Amino acid sequence: MLAIFKREFLSYFRSPVGYVAIALFSFLSGFIFYSQFATGAVNIATEVISLRSFFVIIVPIITMGLLSEDKKRGTDVLYYTTPVSLFNVVVGKVLAAFALYAIMFINVVIHIIVTLACGGDFEVGCIGTIIVFFFMAFMFITIGLFASAITDSQIISAIVAFVIILVTQLISTIGSYAGAAVTSVLSAIKVESATAAGNGIASAIAWFDPFVKTQDFRLGIFSVSALIYLVSIGVLFLYLTFRVLEKKRWSQA
Amino acid sequence: MNKIVSNVKNPQNDDRSDKLKLYSIGSVVILIAIVLLVNVLFDKILGKALTFDFSDALSNTISQESIDYINGLPADTKIRIVGLFDKPADVAQTEYQYICPLLDDYVKNSKGKITVDYINPNTQPTIISQLDPDNSFNLSSQTGNFVIKYNDKIKIISPYDCYSYDETYLSQGYYYVTGNNAEYSFTNSMYILTNGYSCKAYLITGLEEDDSNYIAKILESMAIEPIGLPVSENFTVPEDCDLIIMNGPQNDISEKMYVELSSFIKRGGKLFVAVDFNVVNVTEKYERLNRLLNEMNLVIDPYLIAENDSGYQLGGYQLDHLVKACEGFTDYAEITLLHSTNARSVRSADIPGNTFKTAPVLRTSENASTTALDQYGNVIESSMVSGKQFYAAMYSAGEGDDPAKAFVFGTMNFTSDQYISSYGINDTNVDFFKSCLRELTSSKQFNTLNVPTKNVENFSLDATKSTTSASTVVLVVFMILIPVLLVALAVIVYNKRKNL
Repeated sequence: MLAIFKREFLSYFRSPVGYVAIALFSFLSGFIFYSQFATGAVNIATEVISLRSFFVIIVPIITMGLLSEDKKRGTDVLYYTTPVSLFNVVVGKVLAAFALYAIMFINVVIHIIVTLACGGDFEVGCIGTIIVFFFMAFMFITIGLFASAITDSQIISAIVAFVIILVTQLISTIGSYAGAAVTSVLSAIKVESATAAGNGIASAIAWFDPFVKTQDFRLGIFSVSALIYLVSIGVLFLYLTFRVLEKKRWSQA
Repeated sequence: MNKIVSNVKNPQNDDRSDKLKLYSIGSVVILIAIVLLVNVLFDKILGKALTFDFSDALSNTISQESIDYINGLPADTKIRIVGLFDKPADVAQTEYQYICPLLDDYVKNSKGKITVDYINPNTQPTIISQLDPDNSFNLSSQTGNFVIKYNDKIKIISPYDCYSYDETYLSQGYYYVTGNNAEYSFTNSMYILTNGYSCKAYLITGLEEDDSNYIAKILESMAIEPIGLPVSENFTVPEDCDLIIMNGPQNDISEKMYVELSSFIKRGGKLFVAVDFNVVNVTEKYERLNRLLNEMNLVIDPYLIAENDSGYQLGGYQLDHLVKACEGFTDYAEITLLHSTNARSVRSADIPGNTFKTAPVLRTSENASTTALDQYGNVIESSMVSGKQFYAAMYSAGEGDDPAKAFVFGTMNFTSDQYISSYGINDTNVDFFKSCLRELTSSKQFNTLNVPTKNVENFSLDATKSTTSASTVVLVVFMILIPVLLVALAVIVYNKRKNL
């Protein structure tokens, strides 16, 4: 696992991908930090939450080649022929992408230092948002890895990851539209509890929204169940990736 | 030959493949079910138990005062809190930021006595008739606010009531939040709904005084009902009046008011008066008010107190200084040194005319002075009295079982919206004022709740460090220099490896 992690992590810096991803992250975080700094008040939690919105761009960039590139080159056969378990392969690649995210986050750490040096505050809500940031990064990276496992094209992998992450970010909005649609349909056929049913549908869909589940962390409210949700979705996608790779092994048999 | 062999299907392989496919699909389905089950379990059953408030001021957790109050309610108590709006998906940075999570904590600690809903009357209009069948409160105009209902009684709380604002900024049109009063507002409102008011305080209005919004909040928190009592030609003190408050009158009272208030005092009424020296009342001598206070052996002098002892001065200013709580009043607040600004001197009447006993409440150092000011606010040198101790507040009480009592403050630092908004409802001066109210209404006042207000987060930078030039450096370094350097590295790596 360590060898795979090392290889994948260093490969980010043997190609422009790692530098471009970090540059993009630096620019975005720098812009958000500067916007706050110029007003004389800096809330690091706001910066970190804003950066979460860019998972949809950054995660596909750093995960698109994790497995699809090996498939394209045919080097994925090594996963099945070398004495390394597929589980180690999958985890090693996730850890490499996660480590790259950690490197990117150094920008925010520098912002925190500048904020404190300028007499600003770094309170527990900021720590909460940072914890959520990394848990969410893990979840989205596993989604990106899964997208990379189902195709040998980096572009398709990036698009699939982009779509899944975008849908994840818009779950509540999708839920409210679905709820409104259900309400309209049921009202049209004169069902009495149309509004309640619509609201129920909207709430049920919104229940899956990781952003809503973790929103209170910035207020200093730490919810273990929200973190368990993020981890469990991540584990689910890890397992899906593992199954996709396993499928190739037994379908080739 | 080989080609023919490879195309022949191996039934054993097919069977194994089907089994693996089934195993693969089955295991994924089982894992999805486990993930859902575990999350539902944690969210719905253990979610609240595994949620912790680590905020600095415990902004999202109710205090022990509130928990004790809720635990003291009968088990069958049903208090319903309804937010007349759709709860925002993300309450952070909205006016509900400190309110919605706190209400969740009320529910968590109430054992079913308190419920919280968010119902928008625009989409569900029936909620109005459910809460207020007689439409006494015109709830349709209260969208965005909270309604607390207990039996048939209702109290309405605006989210803006849940914060303290700096009055100086407010007068310029800016809302600068200085305190979080959400728990203070909700617990005290619930207390009043379940227990009722213990007495009534009338606040005299119409003497060009400032607003008394914070006094009203403080009175409510002590289960004292605040009611405005406007000045008029037919001014009378209501029969049910337990306490009269004159908070910063800029003008003297009328003759009719003097007669009425004098009668009120004679029948054991309680009086709280606070005045100070400011540009509006600089020449006001409060002759009729002093006549009234004289009946209680008190006088407000038309002199401004200046503190000469540097140990008492605040920031080196003579007019902004500390005053010390006198004997008998030292336990009114946690500390005995309190903050006074532009104070008038208050003293005992020269010739005590009745049975009222007076006592100094707040004193200056032994090295203070007083002086009169002319109409332009200039010091009249000839009036100056130096090197003495003066009083910024006095107390007077009659004799008997329920005697008349009065506190007279020569400073507005204990009661003005301006001061309380800046220093918060938890300020020591406010604690002292509340103790004075307790003394005045001791025979009736029974709310012993002391719900603390909470600090709000302040993310402001040091103005001397976050200058325009510092902003420019931040812009150049973080938005230009670092990203450009990284892109340059990317180009170098690309050029080096493009031919590999």
